[in-house]
Amino acid sequence: MGKKCPEYVSELNDYLDGTLDEGLCSEIEKHLGTCANCRIMVDTMRMTVTLCRDGKPEPMPDALSARLNGLLKTRWEQKFGKPQP
Amino acid sequence: MNEKELVKKAQAGDFEAFTDLINAHKSTIYGLARRLAGNQEDAEDIVQDTFLKAIDKIDQFRLESSFGTWLYTIALNQARGMFSRRQQTDIRTIEEYLPGGQSGHDHSGDGYQLFDWQNPESLLENSQLREIIDRLISELPYKYREAFVLRYLEELPVKEVARQINESEAATKSRILRARLALRDQLSDIFEAEHGQKMS
Ligand SMILES: [Zn+2]
Repeated sequence: MGKKCPEYVSELNDYLDGTLDEGLCSEIEKHLGTCANCRIMVDTMRMTVTLCRDGKPEPMPDALSARLNGLLKTRWEQKFGKPQP
Repeated sequence: MNEKELVKKAQAGDFEAFTDLINAHKSTIYGLARRLAGNQEDAEDIVQDTFLKAIDKIDQFRLESSFGTWLYTIALNQARGMFSRRQQTDIRTIEEYLPGGQSGHDHSGDGYQLFDWQNPESLLENSQLREIIDRLISELPYKYREAFVLRYLEELPVKEVARQINESEAATKSRILRARLALRDQLSDIFEAEHGQKMS
């Protein structure tokens, strides 16, 4: 018999990310073929990242841009002085 | 004008050159802050503090990295500073998230099976799902959240995440895994409850 389920877990992330070496991959796949819980574990771990990635990052709100412009200018002038006319 | 020239001008006190540099990277920095913060208000604070810090430290920027990379690191430091001051509880160990682990479920009976949720869209609406995901990520203790966000949302390689958070690759991998397991576990609970309601 191979490893117990918990012993696979440290390798699961590498397996899911495609960075695990082939020998271990086939060992894990063999186990997944016989163990429903590990299979569900792997599928839902994969889905977890898929869901987290799903949202598109919103662009920076215009109001923030505008507020920052003023703030940064003030700080800049404190540091470098007001530009000469 | 290329980045190097802009940096030189900014270091000599040219505010417009500085603004050009910032504008080229503000979407990236805002995106990072939004993901790390999990809410609008904190994200705005991180962005603001990052750009102010960049003004304070602009003379120290030596062009050893790109300006974008330099700014990115400042943003990470600002975020870490903000969240490490807040009270946080630790999450469970890797083993406790496993089938048969002590994750608060009853795994004792024979034939215990994890809840399988292949189609979360059938259980929750997209907007609800989005809200839940944002909340769960933002509730992770910061050191796990940071590792997870950098790895999977910012899509940095593990090596680069390790460099950014100043940890060994092994420690980094462990944080990423624990964060992923914690999120999976909480999503599982939510979907299982939702499924139960739909069935009854
Ligand atoms: Zn198993």
